[in-house]
Amino acid sequence: MASRAPATTGRLLLGFRKWYYNACGFNKLGLMRDDTIHEDGDVKEALRRLPEQVYNDRMFRIKRALDLSMKQQVLPKEHWTKFEEDTHYLEPYLKEVIRERKEREEWQKK
Amino acid sequence: MKGIRGISHLSRRFYAAFRGDQPLNEPLSGLKVSTAAPHTYQDVHVTKLPSGLVIASLENYSPASKIGVFVRAGSRYETMDNQGVTHLLRLASSLTTKGASAFRICRGIEAVGGSMSVTSSRENMVYTVDCLRDHIDTVMEYLINVTTAPEFRPWEVSDLTPRLKLDKAIANQNTQIGVIESLHAAAYKNALSNSLYCPDYMIDRISTDQLHSFVENNFTSPRMALVGLGVDHTVLKQVGEQFLNIRGGMGTAGSKAAYRGGELRVQTQSGLVHAAVVSEGAATGSAEATAFSVLQHVLGAGPHVKRGSNTTSKLCQAVGKASTHPYDVSAFNASYTDSGLFGVYTISQAAVIGDVINAALAQVKAIAQGSLTAEDLSRAKNQLKAQYLMSLESSEGLLEAVGTQALAEGTYHSPEAVTQKIDAVSSSDVVNAAKKFVSGKKSMATSGNLINTPFVDEI
Repeated sequence: MASRAPATTGRLLLGFRKWYYNACGFNKLGLMRDDTIHEDGDVKEALRRLPEQVYNDRMFRIKRALDLSMKQQVLPKEHWTKFEEDTHYLEPYLKEVIRERKEREEWQKK
Repeated sequence: MKGIRGISHLSRRFYAAFRGDQPLNEPLSGLKVSTAAPHTYQDVHVTKLPSGLVIASLENYSPASKIGVFVRAGSRYETMDNQGVTHLLRLASSLTTKGASAFRICRGIEAVGGSMSVTSSRENMVYTVDCLRDHIDTVMEYLINVTTAPEFRPWEVSDLTPRLKLDKAIANQNTQIGVIESLHAAAYKNALSNSLYCPDYMIDRISTDQLHSFVENNFTSPRMALVGLGVDHTVLKQVGEQFLNIRGGMGTAGSKAAYRGGELRVQTQSGLVHAAVVSEGAATGSAEATAFSVLQHVLGAGPHVKRGSNTTSKLCQAVGKASTHPYDVSAFNASYTDSGLFGVYTISQAAVIGDVINAALAQVKAIAQGSLTAEDLSRAKNQLKAQYLMSLESSEGLLEAVGTQALAEGTYHSPEAVTQKIDAVSSSDVVNAAKKFVSGKKSMATSGNLINTPFVDEI
């Protein structure tokens, strides 16, 4: 995903990332980027650690998206998630979980 | 933490190898000792840092070291809003800190064969680590992290709930714990009435913020003591200066314990009755407290011979005359910084509990009226001295003695000074202590089949 690339101040790159974000299309279902990450073990653990409010918002967005995709619809344009408003709410938790897992693996190697 | 690692080179390992010609328990022939301050070679050294942190250590040249951080943050410093926070804090000792993850603390200590434990009383919380001398720096790093930089991540804290419940369930198995807890709840209005265990209604309700604010307000340098056995004083002092000087100020002042006197009765299915009857005793460190301790041993503080008949116990003698049923009776004595409880603790069949309590109280009354023989007094003093000295033989007992004294008074009283204090107790001191118990307002806690148990106003 383009938005995973290292943050850059380049105007051109920012424009590209914006275009790519909109081209991906999940924002038209009202999802955020972190709603679309595949749920493996790390992500499950990170989700468990989310504050309750953030977790509930996520579940709301996912359910709304499932409903929309079943009906073959997209949200009205004013409700689409904007690139600027997409917070990577799961990222710090996920990074921490991965760091902990790496630490465990390193220890096992000793 | 690099600093600590470097210091380990200073430790005097292989000390004996250089001194083949002379026994180790004698001072070096060329050594000049200041005549101004005579001291023995294995002395407890106590330093008070400008920040108020007290550092006490005893270099006993043991291959195993024991280091403890004592904090004046027991359950008496809990408020109405955060009841049970010290219980959770006790369990939260191995959670992730800013310097090391929970995983690393656990594995790191296991890897060097050490151990870490946390205990808390009504007054203090004690974090202790044990390890071999070579690993002091590793283990101390974890100890410092746990006491100064906890993170209390919400998900880790909420994972502790089952352990909290387990702790309570185990404590529930023990009737004595229940009786002592309800005794404190009945006897005091505040502070000392707080339980050591998290109340049921607070399980799952104590937030990360509450833990953080409790630590911030109570774990301040003037309320901490760093105590080590088998560790060099300069090393420990350096660690204290560098890493434990975190928060100045006295933090929140706890309220002074106010004795009220009252009663709590817990009816259970058991056939036996546990009953404790107490009055307000003496605060730790006062001369009166020593008199109460002697009185406790005059009355009988528990069996001295396993499965023996406990004949030297005045209480057992008195109750034995009053009841033919099985019973157990001993004197109860607890001292805190500003108050104390003294009384009798009895266990007996439900039918005869009234006789047992009355016989025990009559015995204390008899002593209050002056019936105390010289033999009984000297026996009690010997038992008390022996008990105190034997408790210093184990490293746990010694660490606790050094730590609590360093924390409360900033000094350490040598065993000689303490035994002298015990010797100085006169017969009239003990009689006065007994009088204070007899005339004082009583508190009572009972548990078991209470059908025949008298109320506190009936005894």
